[in-house]
Amino acid sequence: MNKRHTSPYLATFSPDMKLFELVEMSPSLLSILSRLDVRLPFGDISVKDLCEREGIADELFLILCSMHTDDSFRPDVEALKPEMLAGVVRYLRLSHRYYAEHMLPHTSAHLERILDHCDKLSHSVLRRFYDDYTTYIEHHFEQEERFIFDLVDGGGIERDKADCSLFDMPHTDIDDRSNDIASLIFKSLPEAAPTKLRCAMLEHIYALRDDLRRHSNVEEYLLKPLVEKHINAKR
Amino acid sequence: MKRYRVAIVETSALIAEGIASILRSSATMEVVGTYAAVQEVEPLLAAGGIDVVVAAVGLCHQLEESSLAGQMPVVGLQSGLADEATLRRFNGVVTLYTAAEDIIRIVSEACQQPAEHNMAESHELSEREKDVLVLVAKGFTNKEIASELNISPHTVMSHRKNIVHKTGIRSVAGLTVYAVLNKLIDSEQL
Repeated sequence: MNKRHTSPYLATFSPDMKLFELVEMSPSLLSILSRLDVRLPFGDISVKDLCEREGIADELFLILCSMHTDDSFRPDVEALKPEMLAGVVRYLRLSHRYYAEHMLPHTSAHLERILDHCDKLSHSVLRRFYDDYTTYIEHHFEQEERFIFDLVDGGGIERDKADCSLFDMPHTDIDDRSNDIASLIFKSLPEAAPTKLRCAMLEHIYALRDDLRRHSNVEEYLLKPLVEKHINAKR
Repeated sequence: MKRYRVAIVETSALIAEGIASILRSSATMEVVGTYAAVQEVEPLLAAGGIDVVVAAVGLCHQLEESSLAGQMPVVGLQSGLADEATLRRFNGVVTLYTAAEDIIRIVSEACQQPAEHNMAESHELSEREKDVLVLVAKGFTNKEIASELNISPHTVMSHRKNIVHKTGIRSVAGLTVYAVLNKLIDSEQL
């Protein structure tokens, strides 16, 4: 591991440790394993062996684990091999699928349980707001996959300049909308909505918001500089 | 030495001129003018022409609904009875019996306090902010809202900033949902 990557977590995480130890140190990393569709049980498998089995570079895996555990961690892209780009794109695609198939529908189902306690108008405006939010996120994912990920996978990134501006504005917008939903549930939902359901929904929304923030950090501080590095190297 | 530009809002000419005269005696104070209504001061705020407002405590409600809320330190001028909660919303309070040097000190200290800590402490939307929110939810532009409510676009912007601060909601779509959930607007108005 390159010493220029600085994070207390990255300093502690190592390819030789057992996967179980890694998860025990930071249980939220289970969602990374879920994204990568790691087969369970994983017994006493080491991080290194797991990465080999799943076809992901252990250095990349530990960087992703660090970015997921420590929001302020920034990888030193200069020290990374350009071949890592394909692995990053693969992870981000799996991450998009994880949101679309797991987190967004799960949060939506939870919202529906709350909306059952609301009047017709509140039900319809909140449902529409959440559906617009998911549509917006999914559209953003599609754009990234079409204009960046497909270029990387098809080798087109060397011929066509990937549109890195896609990483910018929408993330702030997604963050704002996530906060808006949380504020509405917290402050304005009719009293009829039971507190336990409301709190559980808030946990889902905050978890989704924080996960999307970490996802956008991977795009901004790992994918984007790697893409730029790749483009510049080919000029 | 920095000179603080002061606007005085007080319906009693006698009190307003008395305070103005005391403040003018200080080298650190410049009295921009005395006014009878809060609305007369709003253009000065928009033009960046004042640093502090000294206003009658009785005008608290008007101040709270004005563009001054959360933007400008306000010192209360207490000439009658007032409850504690109201007085706490000002950055300082002077009474008819406060000594001249204390008035200058209280106004100077208020100038050094963060503006957002005054008048806008309440997280309840004021009536004016609710009016603006309903029009935002209906899709009006800032210019249209200004024209509809007969206020300046700058005041509309200031109200919108306060609405975002108080509700925690940034998007227009989110504010529309807020207006519906809080019964400020019904389905027919959407």
